[in-house]
Amino acid sequence: MNYDPPTPAERVLARHRWIRCFVVLVVLALAIYYLFFVNQYVIAYRNDVDHFKYGSIGSEPNLGLPILVFKALPVLYQDRLGPTGYRRFGMLYDNDKSDLPIGMSRRYVGGVERVWFNCAICHVGTYRLALTDKPTFIYGAPANNLRLYELLKFFLTISADPKFNADNLVAAIDSPTVGGDLNFVQRFIYRRFVFPAVQQGLLELSRQFSFMAKADTPGYGPYFDWGPGRVDTFNPYKAIQFNFPMDARHIGETALNGSSDFPSIWEQHPRDGMHLHWDGNNTSVDERNLSAALGAGVTPVTVDIASIKRVRAWIWDLPPPPFPAPIGTDRDTVAEINRGRALFADYCAGCHGMKDASGQYDYDTARYPHLGQVESWDRIGTDRGRLDSYTPNFAAAQNMLYAGYPWRFTHFRKTDGYASQPLDGIWARSPYLHNGSVPTLRDLLEPAGNRPAKWYRGSDILDIDKVGYRSDGYGSAPGDLFVYDTAVPGNSNRGHEGKDYGTELPAADKDAIVEYMKTL
Amino acid sequence: MARSTDETFLHEDNAGLIFSPLKFRHLEVKNRLFRSNLAGMFDEYNGYGGHTRLNWEEKFAKGGVGCIISSYTPVAVRGRILIRYAMIDNDDKIPFWREVGKRVHSYDCRFLMQLSHSGRQQDMGGVENQFKKARSSTNQKDFFHGILAQAMTPAEIHEIVEQFAQGARRAREAGLDGVELHGANGYLITQFLSSGINDRTDDYGGAVENRARFALEIVRAIRREVGPDFHLQMKINGVDHNDWLYPWKKKGNTLEDTLAICKMLLDDGKGVDAFHVSSGSTFPHPRNPPGDIPIKPLVRWYGGMLASGVRTRFNFAIFNNPIGGRLFQWLWRFRRGKVIEGINAAYAKYLRDEITKLDPSIKFLCTGGFQHAANIAGAIRDGSCDGVSIARPLIANNDLPQILRTANGPTKQKECTYCNKCLVNDLANPLGCYEVSRYDGDTFDEKWENLIKSVMSVFDPPLFR
Repeated sequence: MNYDPPTPAERVLARHRWIRCFVVLVVLALAIYYLFFVNQYVIAYRNDVDHFKYGSIGSEPNLGLPILVFKALPVLYQDRLGPTGYRRFGMLYDNDKSDLPIGMSRRYVGGVERVWFNCAICHVGTYRLALTDKPTFIYGAPANNLRLYELLKFFLTISADPKFNADNLVAAIDSPTVGGDLNFVQRFIYRRFVFPAVQQGLLELSRQFSFMAKADTPGYGPYFDWGPGRVDTFNPYKAIQFNFPMDARHIGETALNGSSDFPSIWEQHPRDGMHLHWDGNNTSVDERNLSAALGAGVTPVTVDIASIKRVRAWIWDLPPPPFPAPIGTDRDTVAEINRGRALFADYCAGCHGMKDASGQYDYDTARYPHLGQVESWDRIGTDRGRLDSYTPNFAAAQNMLYAGYPWRFTHFRKTDGYASQPLDGIWARSPYLHNGSVPTLRDLLEPAGNRPAKWYRGSDILDIDKVGYRSDGYGSAPGDLFVYDTAVPGNSNRGHEGKDYGTELPAADKDAIVEYMKTL
Repeated sequence: MARSTDETFLHEDNAGLIFSPLKFRHLEVKNRLFRSNLAGMFDEYNGYGGHTRLNWEEKFAKGGVGCIISSYTPVAVRGRILIRYAMIDNDDKIPFWREVGKRVHSYDCRFLMQLSHSGRQQDMGGVENQFKKARSSTNQKDFFHGILAQAMTPAEIHEIVEQFAQGARRAREAGLDGVELHGANGYLITQFLSSGINDRTDDYGGAVENRARFALEIVRAIRREVGPDFHLQMKINGVDHNDWLYPWKKKGNTLEDTLAICKMLLDDGKGVDAFHVSSGSTFPHPRNPPGDIPIKPLVRWYGGMLASGVRTRFNFAIFNNPIGGRLFQWLWRFRRGKVIEGINAAYAKYLRDEITKLDPSIKFLCTGGFQHAANIAGAIRDGSCDGVSIARPLIANNDLPQILRTANGPTKQKECTYCNKCLVNDLANPLGCYEVSRYDGDTFDEKWENLIKSVMSVFDPPLFR
């Protein structure tokens, strides 16, 4: 017999207590689920430049690696990457103590801090005037050092590597270099959940990029390393976003090798409305920005619009960097610059604009009718790879992206040539032409036959006479630089030549034009 | 508060009307002032009346009211609302009530016993009821405090009808002057009468005739026990306002429902002699006792009810929350409306007009904040009622009838403020006026000392001296 039974009210309350506990637990569970597994957390930066360098644009939920895994991989694969880790791929660090390279952002997703690319990965360059100089960062410049192809290949190949297993990964995370210092619970989580998820993600990415690895597979066209400072913008895009078939029956060798240089991203305000991208397939800076973000790993679902808008605001009127070496002020040099200015006005400004009398770059498309317009391939004649890699079908598919959002793509169009761009800060945009096939401005003023056919790419030592990064291998160990062969599909240095392009001018006139272009 | 501005009548006219006798069919009262049913936890735990109750009732008789309606008097322990209230559940209670009658009659004051049953509105059932659900017309719990209820079977209904009848018999044997059925303010009889509460599907639920069956059976059983010449009156809600707290609740009885019930309870002249009109299907209710709800005392003293219901903790959390408390107080005032004094007069007038057409011998009392002669006389003069019942203003001024003989009401400082601190303190403390501002003194301490003296005066004289 129960000598202390509950009262009727207590009986009901006891029942309610379970309900209340259940409700509280459910609410708590939902809150925890939301706070840890749904809500995402990013680091907010006060400074626009820091936001550009390290702020998340939303690429991590899709492709991001847990930060400890990202840091552990160079330890685990020191045999392949060497002592400098990700620096081998041209990734830049603010200093030796920097936690992450520039262009890698953090975001807490699903309770794990993940890292992946942001805009800065492809748009921070460096230069040195002398071999012993410390590299100077140029924010908004093409990432002339970045070997994105090699970096991706590294991530893709380790997914199936037997060495990439949970034991080795946890050991690398716990190594002094990474300092993960995982406790047994964390080790369990990394072994049972994080590692399998990462491996699965890399395998999936590997599947999507399989066309890159099938260069020697029957039925697939040859596919070539992009080299430093370049990216195949649209073929991975086709494969990842739209599952386009990438075998030889569906894509030819030319279209398959459409790598091009990273562009500079300063002074976007005057560029809005011009034909953007190398082939001019879009006239909206905002769409171009969002599209480029997709290339960094963002998806229409994960995109952080506010973050991208902040970057947009910063680059909207970001000035180009001035030429870093002194420009002569002696009478002869001034005279040469003046002569160069006149020649530039005659030969170049119609398509590229130039500085006006006040020293400001004039982007006026009324004055320069070809500026920001697509120049037909028949006339420009540069390598077709990049042009052919962009197809009407692909444009149609792109225009379906972000459907249902106000920022849905509507501007993408197939063109028949390459767009003329303003040449502001052109010294920092070496090598030249859309595919970066010509190392210096002076070389570009030569007919294709006189341009370097095989040269070293990846240096950041500036040749201040010919204007462009050195291509002779100076200061680098053999093998550190990438041999750029213009005979490889997509790498041709032809085009942009002939009487109208100044390549038939006397050498002194070409020198004068280059001297003037230092001032742009 | 509504104040009479009708200066057509001199105070002498008003006093003349108020202090004229009121003749019921079988009872005559010396004036029109009734002490409304007003209790305090003054008695023995088991329901025996206590010495303090005698002092309490005597205060008002001495103060000059014509008739006292007893405190809520349970006809059975299961019908208790609060512990330490004298009951009428057994013949062994008759001697106490005989003594009460004797004391009160010595001041030429009549005494009516209010026969009551809490039903589910059992705020503190006591240990006797600790493991029992409250009896009611319904299985639905009380929506305010969440007091659990159990719908009675017909046999249980008949048992309670009989308990009321025996209660009336005992009141008559005790020499009291009549009985009142507490059919208002949410207690058991209301739980049958109200369309907002009664959800039965048998002969005691549904149409108003069925809902009134329980009350009519009680009236007939009482008449069977006490005969036709013992005063019997019914306290009833003019309108239930059952949705005061939760707007999605049914509104309950309308004035027309109440009129139909009153007509039935006349029982062709064999039923009740008078009606006592109130309103509000719960107790307390913003309309009864009409006034404010004092949040601080509520937080201090509501704790005694925590074990009683399944919503008491929720209520306490609301009262104890700075925002919740204020919102509750705002709701309380909003639901009450602007009129306090004479809040039920219009309901009483409608019912009186209709009922007296059928039987002019039926009298009406009206309750609701009366403390000014002009308002009381006005209500009687315009046909709202034949007399008024007063509770809190009489706690504030036990001698209110004497004041009203010579003045329209108490001085401003001595008026009842309708703060309802008396109501809330009753859950833990001796019933009395707890409004500090009303007391003499220059400092709070002085005023508080006088307040305590006033409240404790009910224990004087002591039983043993």
